[in-house]
Amino acid sequence: MSAKIVNQAVTIGRRQSLVGIVTQPAGYVPSGRPVCVILNSGIIHRVGHHRMYVALARMLAAAGSQVLRFDLSGIGDSENRLDGLSPLDAAIADIREAVDWLATSKSAQRIILIGLCSGADHALIYGSSDPRVAGLVLLDPSIPPTLQYYCRYFARHLRQPKSWGDMLIGRGRVWNWIRKFLGDRSEEVLESHRIKLGDPAVRAYLESAYRRTMNLGTQCQAVFTSGFPHQHNYRRQILDAFPSVPFEGQLRLDYFDGCDHVFTSEADRKRLFGVIMKWIQQPGFVETLPAATTGEAASAKDLQMQHASHGT
Amino acid sequence: MTPFFFGSSDRQLFGIYEAARCAPVKGAAVLCHPWGPEYIHAHRSLRQLSNMLAAAGFHTLRFDYFGTGDSAGDMTEARLAGWEADIRTAMSELLDITGARQVSLVGLRLGAALAATIAITAGAKVRSLVLWDPVLRGEEHVRELHLESPPGEKAIKPRPRAPEDGGGYDILGFPLTDQIESEMKALDLIALAPALPARSLIVASHPLPSHDGLRRVLDENKRDQAIEFIADHPPWIELPLGHPLSGAAPVKVLRRIVEWLA
Repeated sequence: MSAKIVNQAVTIGRRQSLVGIVTQPAGYVPSGRPVCVILNSGIIHRVGHHRMYVALARMLAAAGSQVLRFDLSGIGDSENRLDGLSPLDAAIADIREAVDWLATSKSAQRIILIGLCSGADHALIYGSSDPRVAGLVLLDPSIPPTLQYYCRYFARHLRQPKSWGDMLIGRGRVWNWIRKFLGDRSEEVLESHRIKLGDPAVRAYLESAYRRTMNLGTQCQAVFTSGFPHQHNYRRQILDAFPSVPFEGQLRLDYFDGCDHVFTSEADRKRLFGVIMKWIQQPGFVETLPAATTGEAASAKDLQMQHASHGT
Repeated sequence: MTPFFFGSSDRQLFGIYEAARCAPVKGAAVLCHPWGPEYIHAHRSLRQLSNMLAAAGFHTLRFDYFGTGDSAGDMTEARLAGWEADIRTAMSELLDITGARQVSLVGLRLGAALAATIAITAGAKVRSLVLWDPVLRGEEHVRELHLESPPGEKAIKPRPRAPEDGGGYDILGFPLTDQIESEMKALDLIALAPALPARSLIVASHPLPSHDGLRRVLDENKRDQAIEFIADHPPWIELPLGHPLSGAAPVKVLRRIVEWLA
């Protein structure tokens, strides 16, 4: 990477209790570009699994973007909140404080949120309520199962000798369902950390978040991996799960077959970074046209046509 | 808590300084982290240790070696000698910030082996040394790294790396290049044990075959130290989501370290 970048350690938020790193080009920072914010996935601190967010932030900065990686309260180096908010509400409040800080300290007018797993869910939920969020990069976000998901799931397991072995010794998802049906609650402790994505209330909540996001005109890049088979197992699952959400022209989809959930392989990370860099260079995000003009509307229209050609 | 960058412009290191939160100040401590995926999972426990030390009256500095965490550089450019130099830089930084004349070094796993090397050569600058589940034999450590795999998923085996990228293997997403692997394999803390500072604590929560060798050398050299074994979970190993100890810090070990240093 030849372009020079600088890193700045910051403490942000109302109590200055959120620790983050701003990475940006060393000299001229193009104005009008959205500032990228990379969110924690699970309890891994802001560098990300195998330091992938450091590499991504440096790559984005070398291409002219400002990037903030920060720890949500209670994660990494950030202190716990003192207001007793639930974990989800606390995460959303933290993101709002980070975005507000970027608006005042870095003159950010538009934001792109990037997140993996829980980070993707936080990005979606926050992004659906703040018009400053111009883009979302969602890596393995939560989506409900569909009929095709179950067909693929069982077809895959029927082909695996291990599944038959598990069946014979009373292990696996089917046996768990049978046990639960018969009143056994022993598996519930381990399962309790997983949100029941098939639950109608959860499905309606996510659908509403995606609909609001699309209505705000937010551009989305979603990447699904085959490494999260208990949640999704095909590229278009999100479209089938939310058939009434108007994704056309705003959602770009990629499916990484053979890739694990946290992009452990360097080759998968390179591919992922390539997808993100290409998406972020779209006309609506780079400063070739002045923001908030008819020109921007025109570039968004171009983008819709471009996405339509991708079949998303 | 103050996050900041320090060191030279071509080797910027990221650190977090925590000032002692009670008087009288009992000292200053630099924390040295383990390698690669082990650091990612142990980060939470090291932060907790730093917090507990600050509450007990220690100024602490946690930092990332070059090519790790938020520090500059790439892991493929890293060398163990460079990381030892980074620890010296961090010690100087903490002495400079606090006005202290001595620091204590606390190292976990590979960080303990690096800290021990520094403590032996730094003389009076190091007040005391804590070796937390130290890497005793580099060969053993490299073998362990090759066997580490995340829970609940298919085993992610080490993947060979291209020779033009430094060779070696990708271990859970981190490059263990031929160069750093050979440097790690050459580590032999047992051979250094007779020269450890008089005020050293060796605490282990994870039994290793090499512990017998260290005990023997400590006995032969009539050293006061012994390996204190504390049954607690190893924080550098990822536990499955939903496991009761997932994300938890090994409180018994942390308490012992703080109590001993104080």
